[in-house]
Amino acid sequence: MSLLLQGLALGVLTGGLYALLASGLSLYFGVMRVVMVAHPAFLFLGAYLTYTVHTVFGLDPFLALPVTVPLFFVLGVAVQRLLIARLAPENLAMMSVLLTFGIALTIEGLLGTFYTGSYKSVSMEYATRSLTVAGVHLPYDKIIAFWVAAITLVVLFAVLVKSRFGQSLRATIQHREAARLVGIHTERVAGYGFGVGLATAAVGGTVLALITPFFPASHWVWIGKLMAIIVVGGLGSVIGAALAAVLLGVVEGLVLVTVDATWATMMFYVFLFLALLVRPQGFFGGRLAHRF
Amino acid sequence: MARVLKGLAVISICALGLTACAKTDEPGGAQTPGRQTGPVKIGISLPLTGDFSEPGKGIQEGYQVWADQVNAKGGLLGRKVELIFRDDASDPNRVSSDYESLITQDKVNLVFGPFSSRLVIPAAKVAESYNMVFVEPAGAAKEVFEQGFKRLFYAAPAIASDHYNYLADYILKLPADQKPKTAAYASLDDPFAQGTAYGLRDKLAAAGIKTVVDEVYPPETTDFAPIAAKIAAAKPDIVVGGTQFEDSVGLVRALQELKVQPKLAAFSTGPTLAEFPAAVKGAVEHIISPVGWSATATFTGNQEMVKRYKEMFGGEANEDAANGYTVGQIVEAAVTAVKCVDPTKECQDKLADHIRQGTFDTVVGPLSFDDQGRPEQAHMIQQYVDGKVQIVLPESAKTADIVYPKKEW
Repeated sequence: MSLLLQGLALGVLTGGLYALLASGLSLYFGVMRVVMVAHPAFLFLGAYLTYTVHTVFGLDPFLALPVTVPLFFVLGVAVQRLLIARLAPENLAMMSVLLTFGIALTIEGLLGTFYTGSYKSVSMEYATRSLTVAGVHLPYDKIIAFWVAAITLVVLFAVLVKSRFGQSLRATIQHREAARLVGIHTERVAGYGFGVGLATAAVGGTVLALITPFFPASHWVWIGKLMAIIVVGGLGSVIGAALAAVLLGVVEGLVLVTVDATWATMMFYVFLFLALLVRPQGFFGGRLAHRF
Repeated sequence: MARVLKGLAVISICALGLTACAKTDEPGGAQTPGRQTGPVKIGISLPLTGDFSEPGKGIQEGYQVWADQVNAKGGLLGRKVELIFRDDASDPNRVSSDYESLITQDKVNLVFGPFSSRLVIPAAKVAESYNMVFVEPAGAAKEVFEQGFKRLFYAAPAIASDHYNYLADYILKLPADQKPKTAAYASLDDPFAQGTAYGLRDKLAAAGIKTVVDEVYPPETTDFAPIAAKIAAAKPDIVVGGTQFEDSVGLVRALQELKVQPKLAAFSTGPTLAEFPAAVKGAVEHIISPVGWSATATFTGNQEMVKRYKEMFGGEANEDAANGYTVGQIVEAAVTAVKCVDPTKECQDKLADHIRQGTFDTVVGPLSFDDQGRPEQAHMIQQYVDGKVQIVLPESAKTADIVYPKKEW
């Protein structure tokens, strides 16, 4: 029983991390139907930059964020305006897979050149301790990851719902032509939307750096997991992705403590297939997706 | 929308499958004519990019140091050694075609092996079909030796399941009141990593040390806390990980977080890498690992290799480089003994026969092989003592005493 509770607690915390890592992906798809395979590569680019800030300047990894978040926002706008905007709209989804796959390989190659292929890690004293509540151990690094994820998602949500930029972004998502008719610069808004998505990768990268050691090819194992999360959650729905992330995190944790790790990893794909069979728009997709 | 979803599903599945695509080609055999003059060309395919790029480069450097030293001594049988490298990008299909073209087009005199069991098997099939001797630096899984290869030799002290032999002996000889009663095993789903952990598990289980957790996790596992939770619930006396790098760090951190305090913690591969102490900080103390090579050992050529490596590449030599160098030492000794270095069946047969029955002095100690090419020695056991790597077993090679039970992490 306590093992189940432990698995559940760890699952919820890990789900929070998944939500943070997947939120950007969901946004790109929502904004412009772009499947962004390079998102995990950008996560690890963020992790490497965090590593540099931590080792060169001796700062806490989270102090890298004031640098990496704006940097990634600008990078995101640049990627969208210079590359993705040039893809033909009729087969955007498929072509964006190829383009972003290329971007992922480029990032991996550059990381290998600058940082070499050896493992890097950011190891903080607080990252190996845990809080014990009623016999259940809650690792501090996972608690931190969970709260960073929660804060980031709340900010993201607030921006999308409350701000003028968020309104234009949602208008662009809902009906691009109509948005243009009421005077929204849809091109520019799409670029900013992409920038916001990539900014979440900067935050996610810092959290990842804290949790796991990494090397340039680390991003591949995350692509399948994160894609499964956003499909289950409903493409384009940031909230759906967050809920699906927590759901899959919990399922993964519980299956791991009761069955084994191979089945736990498989659960992502089991849920992916179930979603495609039963509810192809995802559990929170469809009309709800347009309202986030 | 539906099309996009299908596309996404395909991508997800491909990402899942990326780690598991292994298909090998069986090439047809054809004899290549021998050449008597010019340099001795040695064909090598290595994973210089992709998953295994880091160890692949280490082995390449080991081969280069060996070639440099042989050429400084006047070459093999008076002929200069020339290494021809191909990059197989860690892909089992590429490695087959690499060796195929090295043998048939570059007409190399000898081939040396690639890195990792997954690439060694397809590569050795090609070499075998051309009757080439195949000494390899990194194919320790038991499957490698069950393919019926006649010319394959693994140039390291022990196959995977023998890595922990000295540690098993040590544990089983402990007095009854100190001897562990329960053990937990967690291993990566990989023939080499699993082989190391299972070798120890089988020996300890046979002697009555109960296996309380036996977990296998796939390579894409990123979260080790639930595995540690399972181990924590079983409260084992010792914890053994059949690991590579990321998972050894992940397990150590997760075990700390879940407050598991075993009397002994052993992990393969990870702790032998220089990056390990920085990744786990203070928890490194008293972690045990099997190791095939030590920079301080005085085996034949070891100090010269360490020195020359530093001159050529700047850093410290590592186990991968040592394994590559060992391949060179064995082949060099065989070529010198049988006095031929042609890609013909007669010459390669003579080389294989010589390697099979001889004992070779190398940087990892004296090596000899059984009929399937398995080395017949065992790995040393290293432990972090006061933050430094020390060899603690066997008795004859030790630089410090083993610490048991370990301090809490």
